[in-house]
Amino acid sequence: MEIVVCVKPVPDAETRLRATSDGTRLDPEGVKFVLAGYDESAVEQALLLKESIAGSRVHVVAFGPAPRTEEVLRATIALGADQATWVDSGADAGAEPVRAARAIAGAIASAPHDLVLCGKQANDDESGLVPAALGELLRVPEFSCVVDLRWDSATSRFRFQRPIETGVESWSAPAPLVVGLQQAWNDPRTAKLPAILKSRKAAIGKVAAASASSESRVVAERFELPPPRTGAKLIEYKTPEDAAQQLVRILREEAKVFP
Amino acid sequence: MPDFSLTPEQESLRDLARKFARAEMAPQAAECDRIGRFPEEIYRKAYELGLMNLNVPTEYGGSGLGVVDQCLIVEELAHACGGMTTSVIANCLALEPILLGGTPAQKERILSPFCAKYQLASFCLTEPSGGSDAGGLKTRARKDGDQYVLDGEKCFITNAPHASLYTVFATVDPELRHKGITAFVVPRSAAGVTPGKDEEKMGHRASSTSTVRFEGVRVPATDRLGAEGEGFSLAMRTLDQTRTPIGALATGIAQAALDHAAAYALKRQTFGKPIAEHQAIQIKLANMAQAVHAARLLTWHAAWTIDHGAKGTLESSIAKCFASDAALEVADEAIQTFGGYGYMKAYPVEKLLRDAKLTQIYEGANEIQRTVIARELLQKYA
Repeated sequence: MEIVVCVKPVPDAETRLRATSDGTRLDPEGVKFVLAGYDESAVEQALLLKESIAGSRVHVVAFGPAPRTEEVLRATIALGADQATWVDSGADAGAEPVRAARAIAGAIASAPHDLVLCGKQANDDESGLVPAALGELLRVPEFSCVVDLRWDSATSRFRFQRPIETGVESWSAPAPLVVGLQQAWNDPRTAKLPAILKSRKAAIGKVAAASASSESRVVAERFELPPPRTGAKLIEYKTPEDAAQQLVRILREEAKVFP
Repeated sequence: MPDFSLTPEQESLRDLARKFARAEMAPQAAECDRIGRFPEEIYRKAYELGLMNLNVPTEYGGSGLGVVDQCLIVEELAHACGGMTTSVIANCLALEPILLGGTPAQKERILSPFCAKYQLASFCLTEPSGGSDAGGLKTRARKDGDQYVLDGEKCFITNAPHASLYTVFATVDPELRHKGITAFVVPRSAAGVTPGKDEEKMGHRASSTSTVRFEGVRVPATDRLGAEGEGFSLAMRTLDQTRTPIGALATGIAQAALDHAAAYALKRQTFGKPIAEHQAIQIKLANMAQAVHAARLLTWHAAWTIDHGAKGTLESSIAKCFASDAALEVADEAIQTFGGYGYMKAYPVEKLLRDAKLTQIYEGANEIQRTVIARELLQKYA
């Protein structure tokens, strides 16, 4: 089975973020980029499928600028991916999702793909649009928020579930298929030191994003960080009842949560 | 000017160690310290990720890293727990005499099966009567045909109760002092090898330390490392290689102390503002940051020197001595920043002081490091 995984470098959750000087987007200067959390689950799922289906290959594709995109692809090779393709976005790191999907679809369309796995959304822009756009662009059925994805060799169909607010849906579908995976329903592995060293020498395929895909009609106008949190208020109390009474008074009179 | 930036490869190695330290080591550090538990499941995971036999070439199943790369990893591990780090890197110390003194055939025969699965090894030099005076060690090795018979006792041996392999320094003739010392590889399974009970220690309580007794232990001459009388030089050359990562271990403890102190200083309020806004605390934090930074740079420089083929005795002694003194000072100031809370076991900084203390003592006490530094220094002026 030919499994394609689409990944995105996103800012490490521990990085201190700031806006660019024109205030329109995140300033990437000094930011450490890592594999998005949902994408970690997608890579893990791809490797699990590869290990369970003889003759399978995992091909990871990412769209973005140097050097972060190449670094994230190397991380997936260290985890066990067989092939990596970097679709170079040039300097434009903040490409909107459908444009990113066009660039990625361009790279996938010419490569074998029985299954295209994505994280259901990226941890930075949270748009969740790329899997759906990929399905459309590749003319392949797409499901998002998927968990428990398996290949049923008896029927040659994928079987998977979607936990939704009112219950759990169970589906099956034939290849090819695009899937947006829910985060952390599997336990992503850690790359081992020898594999990390070996991944430094791996060849990363590089393709330029198709020029027709670089036109955009949408404009990012403003990017603001959440306001800094103000100090917590500590209640000094003698008994739990006393604490509760004070808390209710504060919620009612100061925070005005209750009338 | 030298280049202090890390390569992407080094960044990846550091990220791996940081991730492992935070996910696996840090959550267990306080509990292992409190009850003195040897968390073998963590050491096994460290082995599986390739974080254990760092200095052993890949052809023998190790990770094949240079000293700079080892230091990057060791600092990250020690940030989470100095004691666990001591146990994780003890194999590097124990196996280094084989790397330096073993023949290619010995390396293939001993290292390859050893590194092929999770196993621990211990470096057995120190004896109850002394560690720094290694020339005066008393463990005897008597030649008997094509074997040696070992008799004696070693003490303060890291990982000894759990190890399957020991590198042992013994004398073929105490009259010869340094020139009688000879190194051997001894499996735990050899008749007459008895590790003692785990010592109760002040710090590094997730690590295991005991005596090892050798009573009539028969060792084939093929398990001797180098020639008779070459053991002292082999031990010293081993410590030249492994001393610098102890500087990194101390730096990791010091960085953890600074991180805890700075985070606490921003939260803790006195006189209506965070204590980080009081100049007394700012001066403390600034001094701590200088000590950590200097410790790290001295360690990196010593490691770089050795990776470039020099012996690095002076540089590694300076790095180990300075970084371990810095770790004690910074941990002490972290406790002072926490005030009364810092003295309580419920907070993380008092452990750092206890862990830092050992770095001034083991792998060459700092008094010996200063003796070495002075000797190397004075040679340049003589």
